[in-house]
Amino acid sequence: MADIVADPSRVEPGRWRALIGPELAVVAVGLLAAIVFPDDLGFITRINILSIFTLSIALVVGQAGIGTLGQAALFGAGSYAAALWALHVSAEPFSGLLVGALAGAGVAAASGLLILRTRGLTLIMLSIAFAQVLLEIANKAAFVTGGDDGLADIPVNPILGAVAFDFHGRVGFCYTLAALVVVYFCLRRLIASPFGLTCRGIKGDRLRMRAIGAPVVRHLLCVYAIGGAVAGIAGALSAQTTQVVGLGNLGFELSAEGLVMLSIGGVGHLAGALLGVPTFMIVRHVTATINPYHWLLVIGVLLVVTVLFLPGGLYGMVDKWRRRAGQGGS
Amino acid sequence: MKTCKRLAALAGVLLFGCAVARAEPVKVGIIGPFSGPFSSFGEGWKAAIDAYQKLHGKTAGGQDIELIFRDLTGPNPSEAKALAQELIIKNKVQYIGGVVFTPNAFAIAPVVEEAKIPTVIFNAATSSVLEKSKYFVRTSYTLPQITVPIARFMLDEGVRSVVTMVSDYAPGADAEASFVKTFEAGGGKVIEKVRVPLKTTDFGPFLQRVKGSAPQALFIFFPGGPPSYGVIKAYKDNDLRSTGIRLFGTSEADEKDLPAIGDAALGLESGMFYSGAHDSASNSEFVAALKAVAPAAVANATALEGFDGMAAIYHMIEATKGQRDPDAAMAAIRGFAWESPRGPVRIDPESRHIVQNVYIRKVEKDADGKLFHKEFKTYEQQPDFGRADPK
Repeated sequence: MADIVADPSRVEPGRWRALIGPELAVVAVGLLAAIVFPDDLGFITRINILSIFTLSIALVVGQAGIGTLGQAALFGAGSYAAALWALHVSAEPFSGLLVGALAGAGVAAASGLLILRTRGLTLIMLSIAFAQVLLEIANKAAFVTGGDDGLADIPVNPILGAVAFDFHGRVGFCYTLAALVVVYFCLRRLIASPFGLTCRGIKGDRLRMRAIGAPVVRHLLCVYAIGGAVAGIAGALSAQTTQVVGLGNLGFELSAEGLVMLSIGGVGHLAGALLGVPTFMIVRHVTATINPYHWLLVIGVLLVVTVLFLPGGLYGMVDKWRRRAGQGGS
Repeated sequence: MKTCKRLAALAGVLLFGCAVARAEPVKVGIIGPFSGPFSSFGEGWKAAIDAYQKLHGKTAGGQDIELIFRDLTGPNPSEAKALAQELIIKNKVQYIGGVVFTPNAFAIAPVVEEAKIPTVIFNAATSSVLEKSKYFVRTSYTLPQITVPIARFMLDEGVRSVVTMVSDYAPGADAEASFVKTFEAGGGKVIEKVRVPLKTTDFGPFLQRVKGSAPQALFIFFPGGPPSYGVIKAYKDNDLRSTGIRLFGTSEADEKDLPAIGDAALGLESGMFYSGAHDSASNSEFVAALKAVAPAAVANATALEGFDGMAAIYHMIEATKGQRDPDAAMAAIRGFAWESPRGPVRIDPESRHIVQNVYIRKVEKDADGKLFHKEFKTYEQQPDFGRADPK
C-alpha cells in the first residue's frame, strides 16, 4: 500500500480496487482453496490463523523495525485469555476475540515499556527472555492454566447464536478467513496512514525522527500494542478452533517459525506474511506427508534458497515481475 | 514442454494409484513425533510397529492393513487437531494410534468423539486424557500407576523418611502428589518436596541440600534425557549412598539412556512397567523381532507402548472383521486381556486404561558387561491410581 500511494499511477484503475483489492484477492484465493481442497479445511484454517499471527510480526518487525523474537508471548496471552474467558465467563466467540486482542495488546504494552527502550541484539534477547518468563509463569500457575497439560474442553457457542462450529471445519474456516480479511484491511489502512509513515521513518532513522520531534518510544509502544492485539486475535482464534490451549502457544518455536515464514514471503510488506505462510505451510505439509522423518531438511533448503536468491522474499519477486510488466505495457 | 512432461508423470502416478487400490484396506493413522527433538518416540514406535507386523502379519480379520504415519513434532494442539481431521476426513482412517503429549490428546478428543474413531493412545500419560472421549484406549501407563507401587515398596523396605524431587511440570506434579499421598498414608514422613526446573542438568546443589536434610531415601521423577543423566550422576558424585540415603526412581534410566549414564546407574532401584530384560517367551520374541527389523532399535518402554498399541488395534480390527463398526470395536477392546512382552495386561472395561504389573528393578551388569534392569519384585495388575475410583 505504501508504494501504491507513493506511485499514484497505480491508483488509476479505480479507487475501490486500491481500497479493497488485496482483500478481495485473499478472499478469492481462500475460497478457491476451500473449494478445491474441501477435505483440508482444518489445515487451511491453521494457515489463516498463522497468517494473522505473521501479519502482526510483519507490522512490528517489517514496518516499525522492532526486531522481536518473542511475538509468541502475545499470541499465547491472547489464546489463554480467550480460553479462560470461554471457560469461566462466556463462550460467545466474538467477545472471546475481543478479550484475546485486549490481552495481547495489554501484555505487549506492559512488556514494551521495558524492551522498546533498547535496540538490536538487546531487544531480541529481552523479547525472548520476556516470552520465556511468561511461559514459565503459565507452567507454574497450573491451577489457572493447566500447566504442561494445557486447558481442554474450551466451549465455543455458535457464531451470532446461529452458526455452530462443525467437524469438517467449514465454519472454522469461514470464521478465520473473515478475521484475516478484516485484520489485513485494518493493518493496510494503518500503515498507509501518517502513523504508518512515522513507523517506517523510525525504522529508517530513529535519531532523525527524534530530531524532527517525533515521540519515538511512545510511537513504538503504540505500534507494538497494536501488533500485540493482532497476535492476540490469532491466539484467540487458535483457542476457539482447536478448543485446547497448551504451553506450545507461548513457545519460542512459534515466534521463530513466524519470522521464518515472514522472511520467505518478504519482510518489508504485509503481503509478505500472506505469501510466506501458505508457502511454508504447504511445503511443510506436503513434504511431511511424503516423508514424515526427514522433511525438515526440505524446509531448511527452502529457507537458505530464499535468503540467498530472493532477498526481498516472494513478495519482492512478485513485485519485480509486476513492475516489469507495468513498464512493458506503458 | 517441461510442464507437459510433469503433467503426464502426475497422471501416470494417479492412474497407477487407481489401478493398485482394488480391495479397500483398513487404514490406521499413526500420529507421533517422527522428526525433531522428540523423535526417539517416533523411531521407537516405528520399529515396534514393524516388529509387530513381522510377527503378526499385515492383515487382520481377513483385511489388509495400511498404516499412515503423520509427523507431529511436539506439543501443538492446533496441529494435532488438524492432522486428526485430515486423517479422518481425507485419508478415511478407521483407527488412530500414537500421540505423545497430553495437550495433543486433548485436542484430538472432540474430533475422534464426533467421527467415532477408536483411538489408541500410545503414550499421553495424564489420567484425565481418557475421560475426554469414549473412543480413547491407552496402552502406556500413568504416573500414579507407577509411583503408588514404588511408595508401597519403600514402606515395605522400612523406609520412613523421604525427600521427593521431581521435574517442575504437570507430570512431575502428578508423580509427586500420588507418591506423597500413598507414602504418608502408609505412615511415612515426607521431609521435603523439591521441584527442579525442567531443563536443569546440574544437580549438585539440589543433592547437597538433600544430604543436609538426611532422609532415609530420595524419590525422583524426571523425563528421560539430560536431566536423568544429571541426577543419577550427581547422586553418585555427591556420595549420597554411603551416607545411607537410598535412591528410588521411576523411568529415569531408560534402556536407551543406560549406556550413556554408565556405571553411575549401578544399583539404582526403580519401579516401571517394563524392563527390556523381562524374562518371558513373549519378550524374547519381541526383542528378537525388533532387532530383526531395526538393528539400532532398543527394547524399551517407548517401543513397547507402540507394540502393545498395535496389539490393541489388531484386536479391534479382528473383532470387527475389518468393517467400520466403532462401537463394536470399542466393546471388543474393553476387558481385552493378552500376554504382552511386559507380562499379562488387560484393558480396564470402565476406564479403558491398561492394567498391568509394576516391577521393582535394580540396575545390574550382565555377563557381557552391559547394564540392565533386573526385576526382583512384582506388584501385580496395578490399575491407574490417578482416577478418583481406581479399579
